[in-house]
Amino acid sequence: MSYLNNPAVVMDNGTGLTKLGFAGNDSPSWIFPTAIATSQSSNTKKASSSSSSSAAALGPSNTGTSANSSATPYFGNSTSATSFNNLNKNMLLSNNLAGKRGTEDLDFYIGNEALVASQGPSYSLSYPIRHGQVENWDHMERFWENSIFKYLRTEPEDHFFLLTEPPLNPPENREQIAEIFFESFNCAGLYIAVQAVLALAASWTSSKVTDRSLTGTVIDSGDGVTHVIPVAEGYVIGSAIKNIPIAGRDITLFIQSLLRERGEVDTSLKTAERIKQEYCYVCPDIVKEFNKFDRDGSKFAQFIVENQEQTRKKVVDVGYERFLAPEIFFNPEIASSDFLTPLPTVVDHTIQACPIDVRKGLYNNIVLSGGSTMFKDFGRRLQRDLKSIVSNRIAQSERLSGTKSTGVDVQVISHRKQRNAVWFGGSLLAQTAEFKSYCHTKKDYEEYGPEIVRNFSLFNMV
Amino acid sequence: MSQSLRPYLTAVRYSLEAALTLSNFSSQEVERHNRPEVEVPNQSAELLLQPMHISRNEHEQVLIEPSINSIRVSLKVKQADEIEQILVHKFTRFLEQRAESFYILRRVPIQGYSISFLITNKHTESMKTGKLVDFIIEFMEEVDKEISEMKLFLNARARFVAEAYLGEFVY
Amino acid sequence: MLHLKPHNLLIQKTFSEALEAAAAGAPLTLDRIISDFDYTTFHISNSPEDKALLWLSIRTKAWQSIATCDGNKNGLLPFLESKFTSYPSVSIPSSFESGYDYTLQIDLKSLDAATVLQLSLVKTLIFNYPFHLSFSEFIELSKQQPVTDDFSMSSSQSTSKSLYTIRYRDDENIFIKPSNDRITVIFETIFQDETDKVFGKVFLQEFVDARKRNRSIQSAPQVLFSHEPPLELQQHQQGSTNTDKSRRFITFVLFPRHFQTVELQFSTVCQLTLFRNYFHYHIKCSKAYMHSRMRYRVDSFIKVLNRAKLDEDDEETIDEKNQPHQRRTFTGRKMVY
Repeated sequence: MSYLNNPAVVMDNGTGLTKLGFAGNDSPSWIFPTAIATSQSSNTKKASSSSSSSAAALGPSNTGTSANSSATPYFGNSTSATSFNNLNKNMLLSNNLAGKRGTEDLDFYIGNEALVASQGPSYSLSYPIRHGQVENWDHMERFWENSIFKYLRTEPEDHFFLLTEPPLNPPENREQIAEIFFESFNCAGLYIAVQAVLALAASWTSSKVTDRSLTGTVIDSGDGVTHVIPVAEGYVIGSAIKNIPIAGRDITLFIQSLLRERGEVDTSLKTAERIKQEYCYVCPDIVKEFNKFDRDGSKFAQFIVENQEQTRKKVVDVGYERFLAPEIFFNPEIASSDFLTPLPTVVDHTIQACPIDVRKGLYNNIVLSGGSTMFKDFGRRLQRDLKSIVSNRIAQSERLSGTKSTGVDVQVISHRKQRNAVWFGGSLLAQTAEFKSYCHTKKDYEEYGPEIVRNFSLFNMV
Repeated sequence: MSQSLRPYLTAVRYSLEAALTLSNFSSQEVERHNRPEVEVPNQSAELLLQPMHISRNEHEQVLIEPSINSIRVSLKVKQADEIEQILVHKFTRFLEQRAESFYILRRVPIQGYSISFLITNKHTESMKTGKLVDFIIEFMEEVDKEISEMKLFLNARARFVAEAYLGEFVY
Repeated sequence: MLHLKPHNLLIQKTFSEALEAAAAGAPLTLDRIISDFDYTTFHISNSPEDKALLWLSIRTKAWQSIATCDGNKNGLLPFLESKFTSYPSVSIPSSFESGYDYTLQIDLKSLDAATVLQLSLVKTLIFNYPFHLSFSEFIELSKQQPVTDDFSMSSSQSTSKSLYTIRYRDDENIFIKPSNDRITVIFETIFQDETDKVFGKVFLQEFVDARKRNRSIQSAPQVLFSHEPPLELQQHQQGSTNTDKSRRFITFVLFPRHFQTVELQFSTVCQLTLFRNYFHYHIKCSKAYMHSRMRYRVDSFIKVLNRAKLDEDDEETIDEKNQPHQRRTFTGRKMVY
């Protein structure tokens, strides 16, 4: 079979962003919002007479091009050389039956194009994934359809697919995925991996990791929520998973509130986000850091807001928020009033809730994943704080029992692929020669039915 | 609705209503077991009633197999051609995949039928029998409608797609 | 999305990003695999010597058959080269990347949007070659034997001896046969999946009928559909008798009006090379649409079934008669003792 040479497709559909790409690459080919803009039902009636729906379905709208053009100049796709004679089509389709009958399901956009399209009157935006789990399968199916054929340009029959799922995803959802991928798309083979396990696999690129084990604690912090997930031998310990309602968006909002307090010239969310990405870092000690800032003026930075329409430059001062913003992970009380447990304590609680046999391994391999763990020295601070919690406990138990402890090694692993760790882990696993033998193939599916995807054998990379 | 469909459905309705008189019945063979008697190989013939077979034509039939504590209703859905065959197959499999939320749906149909329901005394105790019969009748009506709508859709879509493709060659 | 585009969006995006990064002074280190339909893989990487030079390599299943379709003239490489001569930033390296069929070297310093677009069309350009050959052969043939307007056309028809074959998939091929008044393009297709086979039949029938029914597309190529290899193929296919039952043949008959100018030729080729993908894409879309229909049906059936359930309220009214001491909280919840 010649599809053996084709790269496997790795898809990580998250609540906020979808990462798409091919196994073997070091970064996803596409990263865009998991959003879909569908044509509104009220519009379809109108469409039948004016053929606007068919027109929209035919060529990508020019609005899509213009909005994207700022970021990627040629990425917009309806350039003259490739879209031929669009003019004929309206005339053609409006006078036959087909133009009047259900083609609304082809009329939609996903990703960035969806965000743009939804600004118009005829599309409504929706996010098919909520809290990591697929809520709207109709939309998700079409989202995948477009991802595969438009963005990845693959014939699913020729490729193996690796998809990700959040921990504690019900098996029925897996079956639904299998139903879509095997029945609608006829994909050659499918593997569904738990995101946390892939994040662990991604950490193997770090020089600190010596043995390629699938035991460790994953701290996955995206835009909406932060999870602490213990994984033992490739299996998630579901009962011990803890969530923290502090993540990227909260940090951005916190920066925004600080900017507003100071009365900066630009306090938009976008500016706050740029400041977060470019200037923030984690400090070892807030008090000392405040002093450092007061002594040394060079610590303060200035952020210049880029503005295309206005020639006047806006300058925003960046001050204490540089280290205060990520600090809300470690001292949540400065930003939130209802969640007060610092991240290191949560991690400690999580590991303490796991079986005692695996705790050492969990402390020894704490892996970061997701954009909100990208702050400089985030891992170092976490490691220090966690170490002090652990050594306090050891000291106490030594005092009480009078025996000497062998000690617990706390190690937080931070690596270069952290931002898209889940996707990257998937890419690593899917490029191995064994990957295809772990997949369920279309033939298996036809023989056993959707329930085969309830079980996937684990990767043994050692 | 065509002329012969009405009497067909009425016949099914009355037969179902007659059959849905179930009572709790403990197994005679295994102690402390209570199992749907239609589903198990049965030594005691007195527990099974005469199966009823209602058929409108070769393609549309209903088989009702009553017993003391459970009945099995199997439907044969109209499949006039290859397309309908595949659509019925797809649709019934899709439903069976979600049998959990259908309570009375059997995951596998009886040999020779498209889809089967199994109603036990547990179901009739927690649900109104009249409405259960309504459901099955409505199901029979809707399935036929859905299959023919899907077939129409497929043809319309194929036509649209073909014309759109060939339209690209019109200069 | 109704139509598939002939260019590869991801190649376009990758080059645009590389260009932007280079302009910003931080050239990207690239080592990316990109895929396309029909067993085609691209590889974009930095040239081993110079970071400002990028390599775009392509490997496609059809390469072998396309490269040899002109006998031993080895015309494919010069043909591709000619397609890029007007783009100064693209050059052909002395040797191709190992494991790939063809490599282009791109200079980021002089890269522009038009070049990026042309690069993203590489696969179509390769597929263009046999079509290009048959277009020129058509011109020759029609000069030798001009088409007469009488109805004895079929008898005076002279066909080329050559048949161009693109083996672009495992069991599926494209055959191109030029003659003096037309070019016949034949797609051989086979369906693995049972559902696809049935759906495919419906779709193919509509392709055949579309032109007859819709007057506005009368000038489109004629489409024929058969289970048996068409006559054009039979003379060439004595040896390979792959007699699979599910094999189908779709024939497009191109008339001169479809390839009069270079632009028309190119757009025709773009459409034809995407035919199979387009066709399979829409079969998949229909299946996806049916899934949504079925989900809707399941929901409505469950609603009907739930109507049969004895309401909790009914039970409660009975309860209340029997047990008058049942108490509720302020919000209406039952008290649990």
